Amino acid sequence: MMEARRSHFWRSDGRRLSGLSTLLLLLPFFALVAFVFVYPILQLLVISILEPHPTSENYARVVENPVHMRVLLRTLWTATLVTALSVVLGFPVAYYMSRAKGTVAALVAVCVILPLWSSVLVRTAAWSFLFQRNGLINSALMSLGLTSQPFKLLYTQSAVVIAMTHVLLPFMILPIYGALRSIPSDYARAAAVLGATRLRTFLEVILPLSLPGVVSGSLLVFLTAIGFFITPALLGSPQEMMISTLVSKQIREVLDWPFAAALVGVLTVFVTLLAVIFSKTLRFDRLMGNAS
Amino acid sequence: MLKTGWMWNSAAVVLASVLSGALPAAAEKLEDQLVIATTGGLMGNTLAKYFYDPFQKAKNVEIVPVAIEVPDQWARAKAMQRTGKVEFDIVTATGPDLVGRTDMLEKIDCAKLPNVQKFGVSDACQPYGVARTTGGMLITYNTETFKNKAPKTWADFWDVKQFPGPRGLPDTGDSDWWVPVAALLADGVKPEQLFPLDINRAYKKLDEIRPNVAVWWKTGDQVQQIMRSREVVMAMSYSGRALAVVKEGIPVAMSWDQAIRDTGYMAVLKGAPDLKAAMAYLDFFYASSDAHVPFMRAVNYATASKSAIELLKPEERNLYATSPENYEKLVKPDFAWIGEHRNELRERWMAWLTR
Repeated sequence: MMEARRSHFWRSDGRRLSGLSTLLLLLPFFALVAFVFVYPILQLLVISILEPHPTSENYARVVENPVHMRVLLRTLWTATLVTALSVVLGFPVAYYMSRAKGTVAALVAVCVILPLWSSVLVRTAAWSFLFQRNGLINSALMSLGLTSQPFKLLYTQSAVVIAMTHVLLPFMILPIYGALRSIPSDYARAAAVLGATRLRTFLEVILPLSLPGVVSGSLLVFLTAIGFFITPALLGSPQEMMISTLVSKQIREVLDWPFAAALVGVLTVFVTLLAVIFSKTLRFDRLMGNAS
Repeated sequence: MLKTGWMWNSAAVVLASVLSGALPAAAEKLEDQLVIATTGGLMGNTLAKYFYDPFQKAKNVEIVPVAIEVPDQWARAKAMQRTGKVEFDIVTATGPDLVGRTDMLEKIDCAKLPNVQKFGVSDACQPYGVARTTGGMLITYNTETFKNKAPKTWADFWDVKQFPGPRGLPDTGDSDWWVPVAALLADGVKPEQLFPLDINRAYKKLDEIRPNVAVWWKTGDQVQQIMRSREVVMAMSYSGRALAVVKEGIPVAMSWDQAIRDTGYMAVLKGAPDLKAAMAYLDFFYASSDAHVPFMRAVNYATASKSAIELLKPEERNLYATSPENYEKLVKPDFAWIGEHRNELRERWMAWLTR
């Protein structure tokens, strides 16, 4: 019943839009996506199987060379860490935002959204100043006498994970916030009336109902993290190389387009697969804040 | 303004027609414009001042500079050649590019570049490129950290007992052979016996230094920044970048011992739309030694002009790779060997670095 409803578009007064107006509304968007995204990706995939001659060689090289698999696995691992950290840090903030009122609520919301208005490059550069050998963190630790030798913070996996989490955190907080806000406050009251403690209410009512937000936030963060480029390049060592850096190396330095295209192919298949699995098992349509 | 511009042009036309009697090649009508791709910032601006502007006036050819990092330039050039719409005329190439990317480059007839022959050093003109600037990949170190004894050679760079502290090595450009070459020199291989490179031996030696490498730098700006901020106590650096930091007054010095020669070439892209103007510019670059001295001072790299380096005082001369004293200490790489083994070098480097 719900599926049938959702496959159509509705006017504000509840009448269904005609097929033609639906088409007209969607056409510009899909035309743009087809032109600037689908077409170039398809062209790359064509290059990956047709050059230098019709072949599966390029894909064989991706799988055979341990370097490429290592980079791919490391990319997935980094994205997993960032996603987990974002959930842990983001959920309390979202929960607080959904409860807070007035000036404080507005202030927190601004703090969450404001970083989105500055460029990733600037935020990453700021982290590199903090992490330097003679940077703020090390100077503070040393002047407090907590350590005599500066820690190696910059160009490590931790630096990459921390900075990526910082950049991506709003994409986790906002969907969770949305999900929490859409839970009617009556539910918590009903649970309390029935004698549930606040902890139990949270664990058995609020948390399960907010999961769609957590899942869609995780999906957003994880998939964006996989394609991250600037942050790992500036804050990581070559050991933290991510798949997008590898692709760019193949295109810029080695000029091996067919092979770079094969890497993109593997990544595309992987990400698509992941999205399909998520949407099948977790009901993607329900995650977009429509859990009514 | 307009009038003098016009007079300049007509003077140039007269001059060109006079010259054309002596040099038939120069009489050819040049195209209206010339697109030159090279790094922007200091290098691009200084080239414009000392070479582009005079060339525009002398030859009545408009120069269109394209500021682009070298790897991006090759990626763009490759894309242009794939689609058959070549827009760049002159590109910036390294030594190995002149061997490994010949399929993308136009062959240069050195006999038709009389000024390069006359004023350039003997190997300034190569079959696929004309030398623009020469520097070295050298050791730059903090003089306050190493007050009493300064590191000189790659063996010193590897010696973390005598010279303790974090190091910086490049992960950019030609690091896939620069760094192995430094490792072999550190392991005691004589410069003249470097090639063919013993890659296994190089990587065995590299394993030793790896824990002490704090930064794998990716750009010239970054290597300067890690020296200023003392993120590292010594690094392999482009000589020009190190010299700029020295000039800033930062307690940093450089050692030319076993520096790896690094020459940037001007090359002409295959299918270049303004081929004649491109060749004319390559020759024009060496026509006036006077422009080379202020140019070298500004960009911190030496050109291959024989006469320009002699115009400098000895102590200033020794800041540049081409001074007689420094040039002897430089390690001259075998570009033909590197070009042939590029894939192998690259794959080994990537595998080691990402391990």
